[in-house]
Amino acid sequence: MSLYVLEGLRPWVIQRVSAVYIVLFILYATYCFFSADNIAFEPWKNWFYNPFNTTVVGIFVLALLFHAWIGMRDVVLDYVHNIMLRIFILAMLVGVLIGSGLWVFRILLLSVVG
Amino acid sequence: MSDKRPVYLNLLKIRLPLAGIVSFAHRITGVMLFLALPFVVYLLDLSVESEQSFDEVQQILGQPAVVLVLVVLLWSIAHHFFAGIRFLLIDAEVGIEKTQARSGAWLVLLAEAVTILLIVYGVLV
Repeated sequence: MSLYVLEGLRPWVIQRVSAVYIVLFILYATYCFFSADNIAFEPWKNWFYNPFNTTVVGIFVLALLFHAWIGMRDVVLDYVHNIMLRIFILAMLVGVLIGSGLWVFRILLLSVVG
Repeated sequence: MSDKRPVYLNLLKIRLPLAGIVSFAHRITGVMLFLALPFVVYLLDLSVESEQSFDEVQQILGQPAVVLVLVVLLWSIAHHFFAGIRFLLIDAEVGIEKTQARSGAWLVLLAEAVTILLIVYGVLV
């Protein structure tokens, strides 16, 4: 098996590794949500400020973006056969994903700085 | 092969087995969650910005139409979550036997129904 063959395996692996992380994060976030005394601005922001939570949220968003990219890419490749339309939609997807990612990155940084 | 072979793609007439429905719903929910992503990020931004914007988020999430969207999104998350775990297990060759795969699909539907009921119960009580 050449390395080139393994190329196709990489998205498959990323999809599953990110899925496992997302599952673990959702379990952790759900636990935090239901063990919270009250839902208000201060406790929510304190939760977000916590370095551990900022880190795991950051990794979660990164995992989510890769997961969403591979999933949406597969859907587009399955159903959109016109090559120009395909390139257009894929470019839009990348734009939305990178935009959302940078936006969250900014929110996370502000929570660290502010 | 002749190009005239019949292509029968009337989606309403194709009867998918349960595992097929779970699989296709996994796709649809994935796309819906992707479409929701920018709005969720926007709400996240508002929620950590200030006390006022946090209240704003709570107001937005309290509107009946938004609650409806929220229920659909939570349902999507529940389905994508449990069906995804099922696929991971199938990748690990757990439950690939036909009858097991079938009951696995039922289990996914059961789990997401319980999850949604718990959430609705939690919101109402």
